[in-house]
Amino acid sequence: MKKEFKVDPGLYSEEALGLAANVASCARVAVKKSPRGLAVEIEAEEPDAAFRDFMNEALNQQCRIDLVKKNFKTSQLILANALVSALGQKNSREG
Amino acid sequence: MARKPAVKKAETPEFRFRRLDGGFLVTNDFGGHAFLSNSDFSRYSAGRLAPGGKVYDALAAGGFVKDRLNFDNLSGNWRARNESVFHGTGLHIFVLTLRCNHKCAYCQSSVAGEKAKNLDMSLPVAKKSVDLAFQSPRNAITIEFQGGEPLANWDVLRGTIKYARLREKKTGKKLTLALVSNFSLMDEAKASFLLENEVSICTSLDGPEALHNANRTYAGGNSHKQTAKWLKYFNARHDSQYGLKYRIFKPSALLTVSRRSLGRGKEVVDEYIGRGLEEIFLRPLAPIGYAKKHWDSIGYTPEEFLKFYKEALRYILLKNKAGVKIREKFAVMLLSKILKSRDSGYLDMRCPCGASVGQLAYNYNGDVYTCDEARMVGWGGDDIFKAGTVNDKYEDIISSPVTKTVCASSNLESQPLCHRCAYKPYCGVCPVVNYEAQRSIWGQMPANYRCRLLTGLFDFLFGLLKDAKSRAILESWVDAGASR
Repeated sequence: MKKEFKVDPGLYSEEALGLAANVASCARVAVKKSPRGLAVEIEAEEPDAAFRDFMNEALNQQCRIDLVKKNFKTSQLILANALVSALGQKNSREG
Repeated sequence: MARKPAVKKAETPEFRFRRLDGGFLVTNDFGGHAFLSNSDFSRYSAGRLAPGGKVYDALAAGGFVKDRLNFDNLSGNWRARNESVFHGTGLHIFVLTLRCNHKCAYCQSSVAGEKAKNLDMSLPVAKKSVDLAFQSPRNAITIEFQGGEPLANWDVLRGTIKYARLREKKTGKKLTLALVSNFSLMDEAKASFLLENEVSICTSLDGPEALHNANRTYAGGNSHKQTAKWLKYFNARHDSQYGLKYRIFKPSALLTVSRRSLGRGKEVVDEYIGRGLEEIFLRPLAPIGYAKKHWDSIGYTPEEFLKFYKEALRYILLKNKAGVKIREKFAVMLLSKILKSRDSGYLDMRCPCGASVGQLAYNYNGDVYTCDEARMVGWGGDDIFKAGTVNDKYEDIISSPVTKTVCASSNLESQPLCHRCAYKPYCGVCPVVNYEAQRSIWGQMPANYRCRLLTGLFDFLFGLLKDAKSRAILESWVDAGASR
């Protein structure tokens, strides 16, 4: 059964919905963007339950995206150190 | 008008907290921790804790008071706890063959039958793997031979050890060689060659005979008998090595906790003590690869594992109180970070995880994966974690999109729940387990199996640290250092 659900674009980005759609296991999910906003079309045996699962994952992804923005510098510094050190080089920002 | 002088308060830098045993545990990014009563926690979190008291001083020493931060010490602690972030790939796992003469219930290594064809690593591929491992900038590297049963590909194992020792001399790097074997194909000649080349020996021991053999079916006979025989041999060789020109390491064993082990923690611990082993690793099954497919028959909930773990660890502590020398490796690895701000080298509990930057897994056919678990996912038909091949340069593997993606996804600074978790300074996530269990390399921590298990483990260990006698034993374990 197919059903379309509207999603608040003020809370969820298209990126988060797209990532969540890739993770969804028990439904086919299509993210739709239109001038009226964002919507997801769910094809599953129980679309309402699948939508709730989907939005749980979308929330997880959105929180992660927001956190990455907030922690960008720290996060990138640690990651860069790990990768650059593994290459036998020194991170110039570390001094 | 005279005013009451303002009391100087403890300004709070960023900290994390968790309710624990009727009070609060507070931690911070420097790795500091403190136990607070409910009232002290209320005062501290509101910035109303007055200076001068015992609690205040303990918090100040742990980096919890803003105007008493000793940045040199605290940043040194952070660096020491995350030491692995500043070095190259140390662990290189060689899967010499996928063939094995055992059919284990959990079969973590995703093996094929003993007579399967074309599943052995060739010597040219093994040599290329050694060359690749030696490209790591790290001064000290470990090559670990695994399988399948690596002794089933003896000629290549022998040739690889010789070649690796030559490369060690040529490059000046410190090389540790390790073998994980079920011992079923071991003989005197092989054992002597391994010892003369300073290969450390590790085997699988799942507990007493009936339990071990039920988990580890061996068509050639009694698996436990073989294990016991060769453990005795290697222990004896270790104990009588005086005067030799080479070092013999004490043998070690790996335990895989399956559903059959539940409720039998004491028996398992007694088996380890009885076999002369001084370390036991109460290692949970990972729901990946073969184990994932058979989870209903061999797996358990995090709560079931924790019950087993607590029972076994309490028993180990009792044994220690009675003077028996044995310690639990999982606890040692976590407590190294908690008590000593020391990187235990546990690759699954790093930030970012050890994917490529801490370890590489070299498959029999020359494919290189970010870790051994990633290799198992590949064997299942999904090469998402393949970072390259032995024909690539080391720097290309480290710079590969796969390595970058897995490292980025295991960075706790980008994990919503982990970022707020009191155990963040000591924990790590595993993108491979996340992917297998939740179809996403980032996972979803509130419903994550591994997260529930580790949180319970941390709760238990921190609870033990509040008890002076248990703490003293746990501290002595950490002081002795983690063996790997």
